[in-house]
Amino acid sequence: MDISVYRAPPSDGLLIAPLDEFTAVYHRASGITHLLTDPAPQILVAVQDGARSLDALLVHLGRDYDLTDGTREALAARLEELVEAGLVERA
Amino acid sequence: MRHAFSVRIGPVGFRIGSDWRAPIAHLETLYRDYPKPLDGVPDFTVRLFARRPWRRFLRPSVEIGGDYMLPEAAPLPLRQGLLAAEMAMNLQMALGARRYLLLHASAVERDGRALLMTGVSGAGKSTLATLLAAKGWRFMGDEFVLLDPATGLVHAFPRLISLKNEGIAAAQAAWPDTRMGPLLRATPKGDIRHMVPDARAIAAMDVPARPALLVFPRYGFDPETRSVQPGEAFVRMTQASTNYVALGEAGFRGLTGLIADVPAIAVDYPDGPRAIEQVEALWADL
Amino acid sequence: MDDTRFTQDPPNPDAAASAGVPSRRRVLALGAVTAGAVMSIRPALAQTAGSVLNCEIPVPDASRAGSYIDADGKVVPARTKGAFPSSPRPFKGEEVKRAMANGSTLPGTDSERSRAYVKYIRRLQRGQGGFTCFASLQMPRG
Repeated sequence: MDISVYRAPPSDGLLIAPLDEFTAVYHRASGITHLLTDPAPQILVAVQDGARSLDALLVHLGRDYDLTDGTREALAARLEELVEAGLVERA
Repeated sequence: MRHAFSVRIGPVGFRIGSDWRAPIAHLETLYRDYPKPLDGVPDFTVRLFARRPWRRFLRPSVEIGGDYMLPEAAPLPLRQGLLAAEMAMNLQMALGARRYLLLHASAVERDGRALLMTGVSGAGKSTLATLLAAKGWRFMGDEFVLLDPATGLVHAFPRLISLKNEGIAAAQAAWPDTRMGPLLRATPKGDIRHMVPDARAIAAMDVPARPALLVFPRYGFDPETRSVQPGEAFVRMTQASTNYVALGEAGFRGLTGLIADVPAIAVDYPDGPRAIEQVEALWADL
Repeated sequence: MDDTRFTQDPPNPDAAASAGVPSRRRVLALGAVTAGAVMSIRPALAQTAGSVLNCEIPVPDASRAGSYIDADGKVVPARTKGAFPSSPRPFKGEEVKRAMANGSTLPGTDSERSRAYVKYIRRLQRGQGGFTCFASLQMPRG
């Protein structure tokens, strides 16, 4: 069972600018700008105020959103992208 | 470096040093009505130099240097020395500008609001800006738009207008009495001729404007205009900026601000006059 | 300049929910496993290159002048069978851009040789002669 926890920089570590279906995110520590589409911005925000495991994140998102076709694997894939981009840390 | 010339264009002062008199003579003539750098202190230095002492005379070719240099920049023949000077000034801006977010675009102004036109080489940025200026818009620049990230205003940078190939005739038709540089044939970018911006553009170079419309022109297509969504416009503008990354957070704020406040439209056009019609219609609808 | 544009909230928060009114929650699609939701922006000097850089790309770079280029664009020893001699003169940025954009042949070459040269240029890495010129030719995405 995956016991990793995922964490994003605190709120002053990112600038988030929704544009349209895309959201631009500036990561202060790296100076890199990323372009995100849903659900990435929502995931990012969900792990900003504290680290969450994959399962905890699924529950948390499920409270605020209707995850009709959301699978655990899909969420893991999105988290992986965010980790690759340097926006989310895995511990 | 026995020949030198200084000039201020908008908020940026340059000092150009040259191993040859000719390019300096052209600059002195064409920029004759422009101010000098503030307090005599330039922001960037440009050097036009001969790689070896004898290359000043034998098949003279002009190497481009200055505060900022790029490896692998090839020299230009002396008869294209004016082009070398202009490219060198562009290079200093592209690599060194930090005070403003640089957008590769032309700009014209009306009633304090700016129309920005951006696109790849050949899209028509310079020609359209020239044609619009002939119709009463104030010319702000054809190469770089200077966006202040703190205020969102754009500042004029009215250098010599670099016209290429068919654009030369079109601009001359719109501005028959205007001073031009020499016709430079067969440069790496085709035939080029530099045109001096009109007196109003020079007089108003220190007056910024609020961007109101962003246009992506495409020359040589059936006329069509279509909205460009903010996400796409944002990405295209990061590609159209030479210092977006270097400016970091300020660049992000400046560009997201621009995209949030200014509609972006793609304009396909078959010829200059039609493009002017399309642009005027879009402006009227703002 | 106001900062209200920047938000720590995800786009389109469900206003009705925060007002305490029961409502259908907004759907959030997690997407297929193979889909992508994150793109990092890496702009380059590309678009302005023509105005700032008059550059040349030697084929191959000066340190390997005299070598041959095979049909895949790799540098091979001189006189390798089926490979092409190095280009006698470097190509201008504009010439390379045209060849890459519309498939025309590089000046002074036939179509096979031109294709080999173009492949060599595409494979240039940072640090190799001609790379900055080539990188500056890249058409931006989007």
